[in-house]
Amino acid sequence: ENREAMLNSRSNRLTEALEEANALFDGVCRAREAALDAQFLVLASNIGKEKANELHSEMSAFDSTAFAEDLLTFMGINRTEETDDLEDDGPGGFLPRDAWKRMGEEALKYFKRAPVFHYMLGSFKSEPPVPKQRIERQKKASRGKAEQAMPAQLKKMEESHQEATEKEVERILRILQTHFENDPNTPISFFDFVIDPNSFARTVENMFHVSFLIRDGLARIKLDEDELPIIEPTKPSGAGEEDSRAGARNQVIIRLDQREWK
Amino acid sequence: QVSELVQFLLVKDQKKIPIKRADMLKNVIREYRDAYSEIVNRAGKTLQEVFGLQLVEIDSKRHTYILINNLPRVEGKYLCRDEEKEKMGLLLIILSFIFMKGNSVKDSALWEFLHLLRVYPGKQHQVFGDVRKLVTEEFVRQKYLEITPIPLTDPQEFKYQWGPRSEKEISKKDVLNAVAKIQGKDPTFWSSQYSEAEA
Repeated sequence: ENREAMLNSRSNRLTEALEEANALFDGVCRAREAALDAQFLVLASNIGKEKANELHSEMSAFDSTAFAEDLLTFMGINRTEETDDLEDDGPGGFLPRDAWKRMGEEALKYFKRAPVFHYMLGSFKSEPPVPKQRIERQKKASRGKAEQAMPAQLKKMEESHQEATEKEVERILRILQTHFENDPNTPISFFDFVIDPNSFARTVENMFHVSFLIRDGLARIKLDEDELPIIEPTKPSGAGEEDSRAGARNQVIIRLDQREWK
Repeated sequence: QVSELVQFLLVKDQKKIPIKRADMLKNVIREYRDAYSEIVNRAGKTLQEVFGLQLVEIDSKRHTYILINNLPRVEGKYLCRDEEKEKMGLLLIILSFIFMKGNSVKDSALWEFLHLLRVYPGKQHQVFGDVRKLVTEEFVRQKYLEITPIPLTDPQEFKYQWGPRSEKEISKKDVLNAVAKIQGKDPTFWSSQYSEAEA
């Protein structure tokens, strides 16, 4: 027990122990006790030898107790006046949580330790941040999607409007063109063309679509001998430019109400 | 082949357990056995030039290697996990104790000293957990410490010394300076340790 304390060159513990043994031996009268006494002597002489070794040791005296205390100070111990044993804290103070971290930071300065290798991608260390980014991105993405869903829907509606209109216009143009193909020199009466005998609304729609053709220069309205408008498809390219410019200048307002239509 | 070996070494070094040549041959070099020394040399060069790490053979009989940091020391914080930091703190203290006490100490002496720092072999430590395991197994496996049984002792006693990794990663001078700093004394205060450290 307390070998180290005995070895301390400054301590007389060994001498004291020997003296105690001597005193005890006087009271010995059984063989077993004598054997114990002999055992003790062996131990004592071993310690004595070590102590002698320590004296001849090359090293200058190193006070480990003082070293330990200085270490505790370095690690940031809070020394209290009380010497009560408080749970894990030994007598004389309270070691803060980061005591060993502090020690470690100092220690790292002295070691030529190769930093532990980590892959930048997928290393355990970086895992926590990655989900965070993903969550953020997901939120942004879903928000973006929602917003986009709205305009997309609206766009679709608009497109369908436009598309429908365009399709209609195209259809009408084709009809006009086919008619003219079949009968190239007979322009169609505008009214014949647009009026739907069965539906006023349809008629208006037809006129609406035709106006697109006129606007885009794909068809032309002229007045014939009877001052009635006739419609014919324009010839593509060449004279197209001039015509469209000229066509654009004329505004025609056609009034048509249901009575007239009938 | 060289870059494969470099990667192999870096990954193997994570646990800080010395790398065996046999493992290198089996896993990386394989059929290029004849070019072994050339490959190893080139790998060492790459490690030095790219990472500033030195490949050192610590056992020429058993051919085991470790990686150490060859870059000059810088001021400022080192990037390191807390767990690693704390272990290195404990290790430094142990190495210091061993050196200052003449390069070899008995296990009982070391543990009696660690008691003073609230570190007990039989008790679970708040920071280190099973300290006895850390010191007698982990540090030994990593070659930071060397523990040898003392003959003719009953019950069996052990002596603790610096391991080959410690010899390469830290110097006696460094340790003495650390002790001096902590104790607020000049390193020359301990004259014989000082002369040994300067040698």
